Amino acid sequence: MTDEMVWILQAQQGDDDAFTLLVEAYQKPVYNLCYRMLGEPEAAEDAAQDTFLKAYQNLTRYDRERSFATWLLSIAAHHCIDKLRRRRFVSFSIDEDEEGQTEIPDRFAPDPETEAAKKQERERLHGLLQALEPVDRAAVVMRYWYDASEVEIAQTLKLTVPAVKSRLHRARRALAALWEKEMPRIRAERKPYGSPAF
Amino acid sequence: MDHRPFEDWLSNEEPLTPQQKRDLTAHLQTCRSCSSLAEVDLAFRSVRQAEPAREFVNRFQVRLAARKQALRRRNALGFLVLAVSVVGLLAGLAWPFIKTAVASPVDTLAAWLSSLVNLWASFQALIHAGLVLFRVAPGFVPAYIWAVLLFGLTGWSLVWVLSLMKYTRIPQGA
Repeated sequence: MTDEMVWILQAQQGDDDAFTLLVEAYQKPVYNLCYRMLGEPEAAEDAAQDTFLKAYQNLTRYDRERSFATWLLSIAAHHCIDKLRRRRFVSFSIDEDEEGQTEIPDRFAPDPETEAAKKQERERLHGLLQALEPVDRAAVVMRYWYDASEVEIAQTLKLTVPAVKSRLHRARRALAALWEKEMPRIRAERKPYGSPAF
Repeated sequence: MDHRPFEDWLSNEEPLTPQQKRDLTAHLQTCRSCSSLAEVDLAFRSVRQAEPAREFVNRFQVRLAARKQALRRRNALGFLVLAVSVVGLLAGLAWPFIKTAVASPVDTLAAWLSSLVNLWASFQALIHAGLVLFRVAPGFVPAYIWAVLLFGLTGWSLVWVLSLMKYTRIPQGA
């Protein structure tokens, strides 16, 4: 039996310390999903915390045959989709970086210009993501940040596999169109041959 | 221009054959749309995971404690409201009797005693009738009817107990 399964069993019997270990293990993937979905560090923090609270309250309903990560990310994804549907419009501030701090390029980094450019590109990509419809966005995040298969995405988002395929295809095309529109300068610097296809 | 095989190649995880690679490279040099797709794909794959601010777990523990406390408060308040409502309702229902009892206590006590005696007599008669029936009935009712009744009663009890277990399960943290 894995450590994770032991923690889950202990947490299901009411051991809060065991659940804390699960929070520690999954804080990064859950926060990342919430951040990519909601676009703001504060909202992502709230959503990630709420996700763990929901998981805690429903832990007795967790089916041990399923992956715990998929179950947890499913709670996070649906929570974020609900939030996005409620507020409809996402305002994303590009003044803040991924840890909620104001961005100041590191002058002592080996190449500050490159670092700053990378940071800017990350923010632009993040901005592109916010243009997608919530469920499409969740599918894209699962695909790129968690290397989830279409079956796993379908399980997480409670969709059929063909629906996931179609959503991913539509989302990638939309992202490419936006990319083409917004990033002509970066296009000149980048070669497309780093794709996994090569 | 037909983008179909190239889009599929770009989205699939499987490695391409040398010929497919050559075809894809040639296509990407001429097709702006597929080239964007490849670029955006690569760009997204290179973005690292965002990390929460430090002490995330501590903040979770604080939230969890606050949530539990709020739940306990809500339960206590709910119990208080229920208790006050029940006492109020009982007092409302009993008010006419209380009023009469206060107005003429001796008459009320006599009436209550008489009711108690009647109730006790009725109860005894009922018990007696039940015992007689219990002695006589088995002779009239065939054994298989008893078996069916017993089986039905057991099944019904089982369903009742299982339903109670299913619907009264308290979620963790409640």
